[in-house]
Amino acid sequence: MTAPALTRRELRGARMRLRVRNVRDFVRRFARRTDGVFGVLVLLFFGILALAPSVFVGPLETVTTATGQSFEPPSPAHLFGTDHLGRDMLNLTVHGARISMFIGLLATVITILLGAVVGIASGFIGGRWDSVMMRITDFFLVIPTFVLAIILAPIILDLVGTGAELFGIRATLLVIVVVIGLTSWAATARIIRSQTLSVRERMFVDRARVIGGGGPHIMRRHILPNVVNLIVANTVLTFAGAIFTETTLSFIGLGDPFQPSWGQLLNAAQSSGAPGLGAWWCIVPPAACVVLVILAFTLVGNALDDILNPKQAGRR
Amino acid sequence: MSLRYLSRQSLQALFTIVMIVLLNFVLFRMMPGSPERILFRNPNLTQEALAAIRERWGLDQPLFPDQFFAYIVATLQGDLGDSYKFIGQPVIEVISERFWPTMILLGLGEMIAVVVGLALGSYTGWRRGGLVDRVGNGFSLVFYSMPYFVIGMPLIIIFATGLGWFPTSGMFTLGATYDSFLDQLLDFLHHLVLPLITVSIGLIGGYSILMRSSIVETRSEDYIGTARAKGLTDARILRHHAFPNALLPVVTLIAINLGYVVAGAITAEVVFNWPGLGTLTVDALNARDYPVLQGVFLFLGISVVLANLAADVVYGFLDPRVRR
Repeated sequence: MTAPALTRRELRGARMRLRVRNVRDFVRRFARRTDGVFGVLVLLFFGILALAPSVFVGPLETVTTATGQSFEPPSPAHLFGTDHLGRDMLNLTVHGARISMFIGLLATVITILLGAVVGIASGFIGGRWDSVMMRITDFFLVIPTFVLAIILAPIILDLVGTGAELFGIRATLLVIVVVIGLTSWAATARIIRSQTLSVRERMFVDRARVIGGGGPHIMRRHILPNVVNLIVANTVLTFAGAIFTETTLSFIGLGDPFQPSWGQLLNAAQSSGAPGLGAWWCIVPPAACVVLVILAFTLVGNALDDILNPKQAGRR
Repeated sequence: MSLRYLSRQSLQALFTIVMIVLLNFVLFRMMPGSPERILFRNPNLTQEALAAIRERWGLDQPLFPDQFFAYIVATLQGDLGDSYKFIGQPVIEVISERFWPTMILLGLGEMIAVVVGLALGSYTGWRRGGLVDRVGNGFSLVFYSMPYFVIGMPLIIIFATGLGWFPTSGMFTLGATYDSFLDQLLDFLHHLVLPLITVSIGLIGGYSILMRSSIVETRSEDYIGTARAKGLTDARILRHHAFPNALLPVVTLIAINLGYVVAGAITAEVVFNWPGLGTLTVDALNARDYPVLQGVFLFLGISVVLANLAADVVYGFLDPRVRR
């Protein structure tokens, strides 16, 4: 007697149940990680601020709409004090969340896309293509990419001009996004490639090939789903790196004064002499936010990596 | 160490250096307008000087092969062009003036960070899950999340502006005259303290995290169990059995991360106005002094690759499996 074949609907139902169970299992394991949960809460907080900063502190203050005097220490009127132009630091810091997080997000998307495409293609195709791609990847891993970013940014900026705008983001910031993406994909590509190499040897890839699946199809339908866990964990860690780089690039003067990120605020504090004047309130709020957000992304990323990365799975 | 290992590593380093030189050429040609436009922006240039520049870079010749080979020959001779900002100064001179301040700051910072970071990492990893681990690893993660200037600016506010213990910026007191070399050295060290602490703290986090995970991995190896069974003390097992083995992968990672170390030095220098390659880079950036920027990239890139090669050689000595 043969078992009755599953109908399409039954199959779909079974798949759904499996997926729900996987998600539930994942949530249970993640909830046990206090550091990861702490990170998620911090990111939620800053995410909400970033979505609608004007709701909390009103529109972004500029030189003309500044509400205080130069370098006022914290007071009930200005909880975080004011900067050298008399702008409210609380207002600037909350708006900075939006810009820093948004630039970080876009840069992460580019980095991960580049890294995943190079990693999967390189690992799956193999051969000469693989060795060429990996030489290039190693090159980007070894050289001081931050210095390369410093050279690339003004060159690209001069090429596109500062006037351009896309989705309400000024060109200066878009250039930062592109530069971060171009200089930080290599680590992701390496990780994804090594996982692709092991997935490629699995039986279902051979089966797909036997029934006539082409390269692009197999990469999309069979390889990608099996490396996606790794991509997720890596995305979160890359986000931390992107915000770190964005803050640093803005700090050394590549940011946009009209759309100040946290790094740009710290740049303004440095160039207006806040450290020498003892105006700690111009430095502590943006600096604390940067550290908190990078720390939160790192904690969440590590927790995800421990849970999702097949190489880490057996270790805990 | 086998000759094959050594030659393979050297070849790889050479390849990377060639790529850096090529990339620099491409970047130079990518610049908006022609390089000529930027080179000739200086109104004080005479006709002869213009002709000399044109001759040197082969600017009236086709891009390939003439300009390309002119560039390669000039680079091989250490001729990186002239700075726009420091008029009349060759790039190579500008860079070599700034080399030692950065080297001292980075070298000492890296040494302190490696010693403290590896000690902290191996101790927390050895006591994984305990109170020491939670506190120590927590600090490492926070340090790891801090850009260098975020460490440096509060240090200035507390110890320089607030307490007045250390100067806020520079490498020597401005306009100071010294009775002896010792006085000058003391003034230098006085200026060095805060930048050095900044660089060290910035690096400790990463090294400690690396070392911790490596120790955690080593802890479950069979030979650790054997050592325990032999009745060795805990401290002895850590020092003689776990630490040396855990060190190996960390050495490679430290070498790979040198590129990032350089990046950190740039911002630390800016905060303290330390007259090294970092402040030079940022000044050149703000003046759009492309020859200097590219010179710095070339110089730092090659330095990092060579340092990496040195680390590979050290690794070859450390790891008996490679030594053969």
